[in-house]
Amino acid sequence: MLRRGRGWAAALLGLSLTMAPGALMAKDKLTVDLVNEPSSLDPQVQWNPDSYYVYRNIFDNLVTRDDKGEIIPQIATAWKQTSETEVEFTIREDVTFHDGQKLKADDVVFSVQRITDPKFASPQLGQFNKIVKAEATSPTTVKLTTDGPYPALLSQLVKLSIVPKHVVEAVGKDAFNLKPVGSGPYKFDSWQRGVQVTLSAYDRYWGPKGPFATAVFRAVPDAATRVANLQAGTSDLAVTLDSDLAAQLKSSPKAKVLSVLTERVAYLRLNPAKPPFDNIKVRQAVAYAIDKGAMVDGILGGYDQPVPEMLTPAHEGWVADIAAPSYDLTKAQALVKEAGEGGKAEIELATSPVFDQRIVQAIQQMLTEAGLNVKINMSDMASYLKRAQGGIDATPALSFGRWSCSCQDADGVLFPLLHKSSSWSVYRNPKADELLEKARQSLDEKVRLEAYRGVHEIVAQDVPLVPLYQSAAIYGAAKGLQWQPSPSESMFLNRMAWKD
Amino acid sequence: MRRFFLRRIGQVIGTVFGVVTLIFFLQRLTGDPTYLLVPETATQADIDAMRAALGFDRPLFVQYLAFLKQIASFDLGRSVIQNIPVWDIIASRLPYTLQLAGGALLVACGLGIPVGVVLALYRDHPASRLLASIVLAAQSMPTFWSGIILIMIFAVTLGWLPPSSTGGIEHLIMPSLALGLLSMATFARITRTSLLDELSKDYVRTARSRGVPMTLLLRRHLARNASIPVITVAALEISNLLAGAVIVETVFAWPGLGQVTVQSILARDFLVVQGIVILGAFVTVALNLAADLLYSAVDPRIRLDGTRR
Repeated sequence: MLRRGRGWAAALLGLSLTMAPGALMAKDKLTVDLVNEPSSLDPQVQWNPDSYYVYRNIFDNLVTRDDKGEIIPQIATAWKQTSETEVEFTIREDVTFHDGQKLKADDVVFSVQRITDPKFASPQLGQFNKIVKAEATSPTTVKLTTDGPYPALLSQLVKLSIVPKHVVEAVGKDAFNLKPVGSGPYKFDSWQRGVQVTLSAYDRYWGPKGPFATAVFRAVPDAATRVANLQAGTSDLAVTLDSDLAAQLKSSPKAKVLSVLTERVAYLRLNPAKPPFDNIKVRQAVAYAIDKGAMVDGILGGYDQPVPEMLTPAHEGWVADIAAPSYDLTKAQALVKEAGEGGKAEIELATSPVFDQRIVQAIQQMLTEAGLNVKINMSDMASYLKRAQGGIDATPALSFGRWSCSCQDADGVLFPLLHKSSSWSVYRNPKADELLEKARQSLDEKVRLEAYRGVHEIVAQDVPLVPLYQSAAIYGAAKGLQWQPSPSESMFLNRMAWKD
Repeated sequence: MRRFFLRRIGQVIGTVFGVVTLIFFLQRLTGDPTYLLVPETATQADIDAMRAALGFDRPLFVQYLAFLKQIASFDLGRSVIQNIPVWDIIASRLPYTLQLAGGALLVACGLGIPVGVVLALYRDHPASRLLASIVLAAQSMPTFWSGIILIMIFAVTLGWLPPSSTGGIEHLIMPSLALGLLSMATFARITRTSLLDELSKDYVRTARSRGVPMTLLLRRHLARNASIPVITVAALEISNLLAGAVIVETVFAWPGLGQVTVQSILARDFLVVQGIVILGAFVTVALNLAADLLYSAVDPRIRLDGTRR
């Protein structure tokens, strides 16, 4: 009898808890709608945003960025450049992995060695292979040696997740991928293939703890369905919306729009080896023919921001006062006329369905108005990338793309796109190469900035690229979610809050 | 009978081999997944190293022989994108495909066949004409549109059903409707035509003149005689449904095989696509076999070698 009484009391208590006013209750479960499921949760074996959103909550990185984009400590509490090629990091001592084991300098060394081992074949190898040596100089210090002065090292280390040496060595690569163990604010709970990944808050996290007991990341490929889920109240956060869907959400009583300018730059790349772009006048005509403001306000809903250079204010190397050609149709038409018959050659504008086709069509129309003859050629992303990196002959005369190095440093944008040694580059300019090399090898911020200013000016005058706009990331969120999205498109659950 | 089965097994092996060879070379016509796997900042050396690590630097024919050897030992390989065995991916998605195909078939047959019977029996009635236009409308609606409309009405506005994803039976209702309504029209039309054909035969007129009620006639004779074309259509429709309903699965975030096929094609995850295609070929051949067996069960005049007694 007593037992039954206790049961009733427990039931009543439970009922009163579930019926308590929302403001008093913490949000227990956060549901996030991604586009696809993560391809893998081992932070070192893939490179795609849907994996990144999830695993960045399971793992800590050596350093991270705050919401403003500044590099701040995470596993490393401090760092010191001990020589041109060596940096010493002090490792936080109060960090434990989700299996309870303490994180040590050895784990940091192991993580660096694992991702830089060519045999491991990490897709991220190219971001870290300037590091030639990693060693623990004491139980709490790690020294990294690069193959030369490397100013972008810290920006790259923002992406280096620390994996537990003892777990990876014990279970192996495949098992670790299925059941990852990290030291982040959330630990891996379950993975229902094709449906969702569930994480739960890690009680012993050293830093700000996650505000939700569990977080569920679901795969919802159709953007309209992600919006419907928000409107119906079955999800709390949705990624990758466009301005039309955002407008739909604005009238919803349950959801709101969150947006941020990212470090992605939309651009046109011209191949100066192919007619008519072998004539500088035609290249300049393209720069004058594009109305970036109309593109951003008229098509993209005003979320994005036109840029005069091939970077964003979120990058190291951004120079605020670059004078780039701005929209002047008469000037563009005059330049095409001056180019004569050669200017009428057919221009292939290469693109892929991944990119916003409204923009591609607008570009075609703007260039046609200037007197150019543009034909759009759409291919799937893999074919597009293959041609884009296939050298001078394979690269189309004109291509539209959006560039992200996920490093917020000019070296990850300008060097690959312009330096003669890069597979992406079809531009040959010894002066630009010299400036890019100088900026890559100097640890002096002023020297780097001056060099990049030179590169931006060359781009503006010689037009191997037409930088278009800084892309926005548009999210849909439940009204109660408090979150500031960041330019790096990270989704840290422990930087969110809930308010009914 | 034995010869029939031996011939069929030979056909299965030939079909699957042909399909697999075709898909192997077709997929590789435009390159490999390496460029999609690495960040934009990767150098040509990084890309070449990645390609070598994945084995895509070997001559195509060497890759093909290695692949044949692999499937001969019933190994479908590993996904280069998801880093797990292809079989695990298929096994995790197959139950959802079966559920959705079952649900859609229920809607298609459960509505389509009775509607077809009504359309045949009351062919000149105005209500029947109205019904015919409703069926036509259901078939004309593209699923990406009807799916979103269903979601907006039943999930967002009325709140009766969950908008997407999986879980209980309530999650299955809208995707099954969106997918099933398309095939429903096919079933209705085939049933109607086939039944009308039977109704014009002499034995029906004789039976009717002797006062046999229509319901009895329908149950005893017409249903059976009119069902052969319906079985043929059913076999084709089921293999279509099992091959994956890409659009419906995308709209409703339903994790079936269709969705994973499209994602794998776009990501150049060759082995996953090959695995699913092998499965699809088997299913199609098996369903056609089942349809042949059913023909002879329904109509004893039909022999399994395809002739009539």
